[in-house]
Amino acid sequence: MYWVSVFTEAGIFAILALGLDMVWGWGGDFDLAFYGYLALGSYMTFVLTIGRPTPPVEYILGWHLPVLLAVPIAVVVVVAFAAVIGSIALRNLREIYFAVLTLAAVSALYIWVENYTQLFDGYNGVYGLINPGQTTLRLTYNGYRIVLLGVVLVILLLAYLLVQRISRSPYGRMLRSVREDERAAAAYGRKIFTAKFRTYLFGAAIAGLAGGLFAIFVSAFNPSAWTPQELLVIYAAILVGGRGNPRGVIVGVFVVYVGLIELTRFLPSPASRPDFSPALRQVLIGLMIILMLKFRPEGIFRERPGRDEPGKPARPAIRQFRTRVAAATSRAARVSGSPLGSAPDEGGAG
Amino acid sequence: MTTSLLEISELTKTFGGVRAVNNCTFAVPEGQVVGLIGPNGAGKSTVVDLVSGFGRPDSGTIMFAGEQLVGKSPDVISRLGLIRTFQTPREWRNLSVMDNVMLARRRFDNEGLWQCMIRARAIRREEESDRAAVREILERFQLTELKNELASRLSGGQKRLLEFARIAAAEPRLIILDEPMGGVNPVLGTRIGDAVGQFAGDGRTVIVVEHNLPFIEKTCDQVVVMDLGEVIAQGPFAGLRDNPRVVEAYLGMDLGHG
Amino acid sequence: MSTFLVAVGVGLATAAILALSAVAFTLEYAVSRIANFAHGEFLTIGAYAAYSGQNISHQNVVAAAVIAAAAGMLAGLALNIGLIERFRGRSPISVFIATLGAALIVENVLIMIYGAANVSYTFAQGNLHHVGPFLWTTSDIEVIFSALAAAGLLYLLLQHTRFGKAIRAVAQDRTLAQVSGIPARAIVMRTWALAGAVSGFAGFILAETIGTFGPQLGFNFLLLTITATVAGGIGRPYATLGGALIVGLVIQISGAYTSSAYQNVFAFGLLVVLMLFRPNGVFVGRSMTAVRA
Repeated sequence: MYWVSVFTEAGIFAILALGLDMVWGWGGDFDLAFYGYLALGSYMTFVLTIGRPTPPVEYILGWHLPVLLAVPIAVVVVVAFAAVIGSIALRNLREIYFAVLTLAAVSALYIWVENYTQLFDGYNGVYGLINPGQTTLRLTYNGYRIVLLGVVLVILLLAYLLVQRISRSPYGRMLRSVREDERAAAAYGRKIFTAKFRTYLFGAAIAGLAGGLFAIFVSAFNPSAWTPQELLVIYAAILVGGRGNPRGVIVGVFVVYVGLIELTRFLPSPASRPDFSPALRQVLIGLMIILMLKFRPEGIFRERPGRDEPGKPARPAIRQFRTRVAAATSRAARVSGSPLGSAPDEGGAG
Repeated sequence: MTTSLLEISELTKTFGGVRAVNNCTFAVPEGQVVGLIGPNGAGKSTVVDLVSGFGRPDSGTIMFAGEQLVGKSPDVISRLGLIRTFQTPREWRNLSVMDNVMLARRRFDNEGLWQCMIRARAIRREEESDRAAVREILERFQLTELKNELASRLSGGQKRLLEFARIAAAEPRLIILDEPMGGVNPVLGTRIGDAVGQFAGDGRTVIVVEHNLPFIEKTCDQVVVMDLGEVIAQGPFAGLRDNPRVVEAYLGMDLGHG
Repeated sequence: MSTFLVAVGVGLATAAILALSAVAFTLEYAVSRIANFAHGEFLTIGAYAAYSGQNISHQNVVAAAVIAAAAGMLAGLALNIGLIERFRGRSPISVFIATLGAALIVENVLIMIYGAANVSYTFAQGNLHHVGPFLWTTSDIEVIFSALAAAGLLYLLLQHTRFGKAIRAVAQDRTLAQVSGIPARAIVMRTWALAGAVSGFAGFILAETIGTFGPQLGFNFLLLTITATVAGGIGRPYATLGGALIVGLVIQISGAYTSSAYQNVFAFGLLVVLMLFRPNGVFVGRSMTAVRA
């Protein structure tokens, strides 16, 4: 059951990462607000489903909607919030300024949530969404958790297929051209802000969805669940897996999240120091970020532009593999003068 | 009778006290190759930026095929049929050569997020005609072998050719080349000259900003000469050497042989 | 009304600490062209070093300050040699993310050593004094005085010593400076050491002012530092002082009239406005680095 829990959480983070990757990997904008979107999605899901608060607990709304209705509404709220931030941040700010602004936005949100208790009961947070629908589906607690894992993985798969489809489409190509060189993209007729903004909203929607799933998964949510520590695992995972590559991103999340937990599970914490082992985990994550950036910034799975094979519009995996092998062996002869083996530059996504 | 495709009228732009462009006026007839030359600091690149929307003039008008360009953003101007290059090749580095040129086809309707979600397969089928056209263009510029390579792996000369492939793919009405011969060896230079000629043959209008005067002489139907932000002469290249203002502006530079 | 003036007074004390942190941040940017996300950790290290050194310093403010500055200096050197120099030539956002990783490491190493809970660190605050219209404790006065002194020393250093001139040369153009005979790498290292020392000192007085702190001390201060830097203008050490003043006042005044919990939100709002409308700083003037649009 432990593993069910680990993989469910990893699956939810993988969904979040798909959304973040669209903005960071494809779009090239390092956004630090994304975990805030997950948090907001979680919070909203709660206050839409757990009913009226009993004092001294307080929070907004307090409706009693079914979860299947609450999550989409939560997503809408998250997208609205992201629209505000995105319309400010994406217009003219790039690179570090953009990162700092999104960090300021999420920090402000955090302070607001933590202190304005009427919103989500401040530091205490919200709770009470325990296995929604468990009795209707006649499942045991454990049974429900297993079904939940299945549901999360199915949603992840659907999200992956959708995101991959978009990635390989003209839209994905256009967005990446904006990332690579905005001036040239504008000179060829692309509307820069519109492209980035649309992507931002879509990514935020995915983050909101992940938030809704997370609410179902954890059944309680408060500010301690979204400290900066939590944020950075996702970024490390995307770096490891490969920015701009949806498959890589998912692999990265599972590798980093599951692998790291496993690696550090056996590290002891001194009896008097329970935060030792989690802190060590974070140290490893920090190291991972630095090492990946230094030695393999594009990640395990590079972003792969589509190959042009006349007459073969679809790209079945096996043919792809064979073509890759053939192309790799003949590549040396063709591109003379270019430094082979050098990693493709990180471009604007750096 | 050739009508003016581009009319620039009393264009002025000041940067921090310096008048980069000073009441600049000239017209470019449709279907011609027009050179834009002048010593450094003459304001040529600024004019190009203003025309293509990368900067807003302080005063003056820019008419392109009957449309006023002042105040429009670069993407809007581009969609009207104007393509410009930059002084350094600006390829999209982490995209393949094929993608680079496909993007130049500017099928904006195919790039909607919603479209790509629900009609992905249909769009890919519709793209085939563009792909075929792009393959031909790549062949023309001898980039076919490299079509699946990342643009960042191209040599400097190949990147220049890629730029021309993109222009060809975009099928624009007006092309503005900003110093296309910068750092280019003679062999590549000939190919660039041929490409410009081919654009003209297709009925496109080309403005070439250049310092390389032999190249200008070879490719251009007429030349506009700028100095200190304004136009000091316009006409066929041959007449320039006799123009005292032009000679003074270039002061001793070789204006080429007859 | 005295609320306002008290707030202004406290704002000046806050601004003093912020000024030190921001000037150090600006120096780091000036010589290495990066935004150091781990900058806050220099403050945290300084605070913890002074805390740990209590046995040695015995409530001696000067000794504690020296320990904090020394720790900060080592941290600055370590980060520069271990990370910044190794990422030379990479895109600024890459280095930024790398420093984020470094911040994560430092903060959690501190947790591993000291635990995640807050530690308390008290110096006698001293009596309240009326200085003009303001109400300050002895400690506040010491803070402002030491910050002004440090700022003054920095000014002297930058303007009148060879080291300072070398820093300015490297900030302008590292390659050119190297070619002119300045040992650029050594200058950069020493600047980071200096910035680290100043930051460590700032962390110490921050901790001393607040009284209790945890491993997040510097990180929480980081966004404020960035705000002050942007307000002054990145790469302009003197204007940064003005920026720190603005932010310090904004925080305390807004906090006095709403609630101290929200004071940072106002600072962040200021940051947003600045980045959108005046990314080069509120004050117009020459910069140590090239002016970027």
